[in-house]
Amino acid sequence: MAQRMAQAAKLLIGVWIAAVAVSMFVVVPQYEGLGNAGRIIIMHVPTAWVSVLAFTVSALFSGLYLWRGQPKHDDYALAAAESGFLFTVLATVTGAIFSQVVWGVYWNWDPRQTSIFVLLLIYAALFALRSSIEDVARRRQLSAVYSLFAFVTMPFLIFVAPRISDSTLHPNCAFIQGSKCEGVDLGVGTLGLLGDRKVELISLDRVGDVVTAKVEVTEPGMASVATLSPTYDTASHKIIDRPNFPGLRFRLVVEGVDMVANSVRLNIEAPGTGLIDNGRTLLTFLASIFGFTALFFWMMNVRATLLSVQWALARREGSRI
Amino acid sequence: MNVALDAGAAVYVAMAVTLSVWIGIFAYLWRIDSQARALRREIEREERREQPAAPRATVTRVSAGEPVEK
Repeated sequence: MAQRMAQAAKLLIGVWIAAVAVSMFVVVPQYEGLGNAGRIIIMHVPTAWVSVLAFTVSALFSGLYLWRGQPKHDDYALAAAESGFLFTVLATVTGAIFSQVVWGVYWNWDPRQTSIFVLLLIYAALFALRSSIEDVARRRQLSAVYSLFAFVTMPFLIFVAPRISDSTLHPNCAFIQGSKCEGVDLGVGTLGLLGDRKVELISLDRVGDVVTAKVEVTEPGMASVATLSPTYDTASHKIIDRPNFPGLRFRLVVEGVDMVANSVRLNIEAPGTGLIDNGRTLLTFLASIFGFTALFFWMMNVRATLLSVQWALARREGSRI
Repeated sequence: MNVALDAGAAVYVAMAVTLSVWIGIFAYLWRIDSQARALRREIEREERREQPAAPRATVTRVSAGEPVEK
C-alpha cells in the first residue's frame, strides 16, 4: 500500500511540474517592461529556495551521522548536498539568463552573483574532500564536519552578504503587492536597482532647500536609457517632483538626502510594481516552489538508495570505493 | 525569418522545449528509482540467504556417573 502511495506521489510530481511549466508560459501574464523574459522568475526563485533547503537537510543528516554514526545518514547528507549543488547551479544559470535580459550581461560580479559563486566553490570543495580520502569511516566523519561548517556560511552568503551592499542589481525588496521596497542609497556615480530598473546617480544639485537628483534610468535589456530628475525639499522633508519611468506608471522619488555624504535615497512608487502581484503569477510561483521541493526529496531519496547499494556491493566485495 | 522565433510562436516553442526536457528528466529519474529499489531488494534478499542457519543440535548437561546414550 505504502509502495503504491509512493509511486502515485512520484507520478504526481511529474504531472505537477509539467503543469507548472505549461502555466509558466501560457497562464502567467507578461511582465510590464520585461515581456516574456520575466517568466523565468517561476524557475529561478524556487530553485534557489530548494538549494537552501537542500543544504539545510544535508547539515541535519551530517549532524545525525556524527551523533549516531549510521552510514545511511551520511548517504542522505551527501545526496542532499549533491542535489543542493545541482539546484544552486540551476538558480545561477537561470539568474544569469535573467541578468542578460535585464542588465545586458550574463555575469557582472554583482554581490549576489559573487556570493552564490563562493557558495558553489564551498560545496564543490566538499565533494573534492570526499573523493580525496580513502578510508571510508574517516571520509564520512570529516565530510560531516565540513558539511556543518559549510552550512554555517550558507545563510550568510545567500541572505546577508547580498544585502550588505546597496549597489547590487539583484532585486532585494519583496515583489509581492503590499510589501514596501526600502529603496536604495546611492552616492554620486554609483549604481543600484529599483524594481527591474538600473539606476545611476549622475549628480546632485541644490537650489535653496530643493535638491534635484539627476538619475540615469536604464530599461531592462538595455533597451533605452533616460535621465530623470526627481526633486526633494530638505526643509519640509517632502517629495516635490515624481517623474514617471519612461512609458510606465511607476514613479521615481527621492526619499531622503545626505548632502554631507553626497548621497540620496531613491525609491520607486507604484500601485503594484511586482512580478508576483498578479494572482495567477503568484499561484504558479507557489506551485513551482512546492513542485521543486517535492522533486528535491525524491531526488535525494533515489541518490541515497543508490549510495547504500554502492556501499553494500563494496562491502560484499571487500573493497573500498 | 525563422517561424519558431516569431514573437507569437516563441513562447510555445520554449514551452515545448521545457516540457521535453522535463519529460526526459522525469523518465530518467523514474527508471533510476525503480532500478535502485530493485537492486536494494535483491541485496537484502541475498544477505538474508547468506546468513548462517541457526544450529539445530541441543546440548544437555549430563551429571557425573549417569550413563550416556550413544
